[in-house]
Amino acid sequence: MDTSDTFQVQFKGDAKTYFGIWIVNLLLTMVTLGIYSAWAKVRRKKYFAQNTTIDERRFDYHATGKQIFIGRLIVVGAYFVANILFAVAPIVGGIVFLVFLGLVPYLINRSLAFNARMTSFSGVRFGFNGSYWRAVLVFFVYPFLAIFTLYLALPFVSRATQKYVISRHRFGTSPFAFSSAIGPFYKAFLFAIGWMFGIMLLGAIVFGLPALMMEFFGASSAGQDPSLEAVIGFFIAYGVILVAILPAAYIYQAYLRNVVYAGTSLEGGHRFTSVVRPAKLLWIALSNAVVTACSWGLMHPWAAVRMARYLAASSYVTIEGSIDGIIGEEQEKLSALGDAFTDFEGIDVDFAI
Amino acid sequence: MTSPSKLYGQNSFGEVWGYAYAPQVSTRLKARLLRDAKGLRLVTEAGEELHAGAPSSRERISGGPCLMQFDDKWTFDTDDIDGVELLLGPADDGWISDLEHWHPRLFAFVALCLVGAVIIWKWGLDLLVAGAIALTPTVFVTSLDSGNLAAMDRILTDPTELSQADQTMVRNIFQKVTDHAPHAPYGEYRLEFRKADAMGPNAFALPGGTVVVTDALIKDFNDPDIIAGIIGHELAHVSERHSLQQLYRSLSAFMLISLMAGDVGPVLEDVLLEGSAIASLAYSREHEAEADVIGVKTSHAAGYDASALATFFETLSADYGEGGPEWMSTHPSHADRVETIKSLSAEQ
Repeated sequence: MDTSDTFQVQFKGDAKTYFGIWIVNLLLTMVTLGIYSAWAKVRRKKYFAQNTTIDERRFDYHATGKQIFIGRLIVVGAYFVANILFAVAPIVGGIVFLVFLGLVPYLINRSLAFNARMTSFSGVRFGFNGSYWRAVLVFFVYPFLAIFTLYLALPFVSRATQKYVISRHRFGTSPFAFSSAIGPFYKAFLFAIGWMFGIMLLGAIVFGLPALMMEFFGASSAGQDPSLEAVIGFFIAYGVILVAILPAAYIYQAYLRNVVYAGTSLEGGHRFTSVVRPAKLLWIALSNAVVTACSWGLMHPWAAVRMARYLAASSYVTIEGSIDGIIGEEQEKLSALGDAFTDFEGIDVDFAI
Repeated sequence: MTSPSKLYGQNSFGEVWGYAYAPQVSTRLKARLLRDAKGLRLVTEAGEELHAGAPSSRERISGGPCLMQFDDKWTFDTDDIDGVELLLGPADDGWISDLEHWHPRLFAFVALCLVGAVIIWKWGLDLLVAGAIALTPTVFVTSLDSGNLAAMDRILTDPTELSQADQTMVRNIFQKVTDHAPHAPYGEYRLEFRKADAMGPNAFALPGGTVVVTDALIKDFNDPDIIAGIIGHELAHVSERHSLQQLYRSLSAFMLISLMAGDVGPVLEDVLLEGSAIASLAYSREHEAEADVIGVKTSHAAGYDASALATFFETLSADYGEGGPEWMSTHPSHADRVETIKSLSAEQ
């Protein structure tokens, strides 16, 4: 068969159902003093995975609460032991810290592998084949080197990271591949940076902010109460910085996602398309945050479902021939150690999905 | 959930359409789970029998499909939940699923969660902090002192240049004040002199009981009453374990928010964390005020004029000014402190 079909990704979840799952998760987590949060995570991920389909084939999430709980226990225990070691014997503590730093790339790989392994599509699990030294390069060395280019080389770093993460993933035994010109990465970068500086410049011109700020800090360091205008100016400056930075992050994310999807392919010629619009993504994210905050968090499920639905509807998969017949792999045992680590550290491996 | 269909499930004839997947391959077969005169079977659209007999496991979360496993071989999923219940009887795994259904009961859960959040914020954090402090070994706290002091000596402070006479004077005051200070929780109080021009006239306490006094403080405020007042204040931070409380409180607030909320979403998570940082500033101001109260009592008991501390803050305000608006600060405003100290020392 050499026909190709394009399918839009479907998200069938609804706010009403997810609200029930979410509130019960929250309640049980509180009642069990946080222990249930591991099982809660599984339920949440299962809900979102099982309701995401391509051509009526589902995703699924297979980790168990027990696995995640044990991973978390180990990570918390390790932090505790490390802290005590640091206090009792600073030298031993220092060595332990260095060993730990050396483990970070390994843990990031383990986290990616765990999450891939625990996710399936059409009955076949994903996989991730990490490399310690490649991870050191893309997560630490390249970002560090980018500093010396005044961050002008950041798009190259971004491309290297995406290439590492994507091309080392596989679906069953079929590898993903990633290749993209650097141009689109620079486009995403420049739009985001352009927005940031543009807004700051505009704010400075319209409100005359630098003068107000000078007055504010001048007055407060002289021990006087700053004038009302200066205080207002301080808050306007805060607002301008917010309007400059927050949208820039979403603009970057939206373009990045589109670029990354366009550059990704799965063995067999299957291709991916993302048509996220920055303004729309920003609107959804901001209005979600406002609605959630104004409802004391109770509208969070609605917000989460709305975002998932938009991202799914903006994603397309072009299947070359058929997605049938992709062979899965024997499963190795994997612990949730890396997953728990990235959970606690808040590391979001920059995986543009 | 108590539809009558549950009662006559088990053996009724019928069928449920869905998709079957062979193990370890993405191939999808349209299939049905069928019960007829020949019993329960999994049969493809083309009529091929994949499996005879009941599924070995059956799993479903709210809003998801019903997923069945047949002896580590075939999996079968279907959205026809009612059909499955009719064919196989009610699922037995689902007390959590039952809770999750859209039902007025969820309003009670919302109320419970809000109450829970308030309880955790008001008492849970304190309890957690108290527990952590109780579990902290003394050696950990004392080594915090030596570690911090060593770190500061490398980057911030130099050896003292105070005269021997000045040092002896301050040591005598320190001795008298510690005699009347609350019990030291982690071993004896200790006094250290350091030259730290970046910090101006200043004194600070490390959690284990080390009080550091800067040269500038002794030079600018060479008044036993003021020095006694400041030492009394710093000792109160130690005896009330303020640094440990702040350390543990910020740690546990962070842990709790990320554990409970798990997925509050990117924008809001930052807002929550910033909010808790600002809330912890209020907490720090509370500690400063508490240390003022205890400090005034201690220096008065040791025979010093407690109102001298007010003079200190007045001079500070005049020379250095306030450090920005109060809500952004770790300390209460000087004016507030002067007023409190004056009224407290008048009461003594």
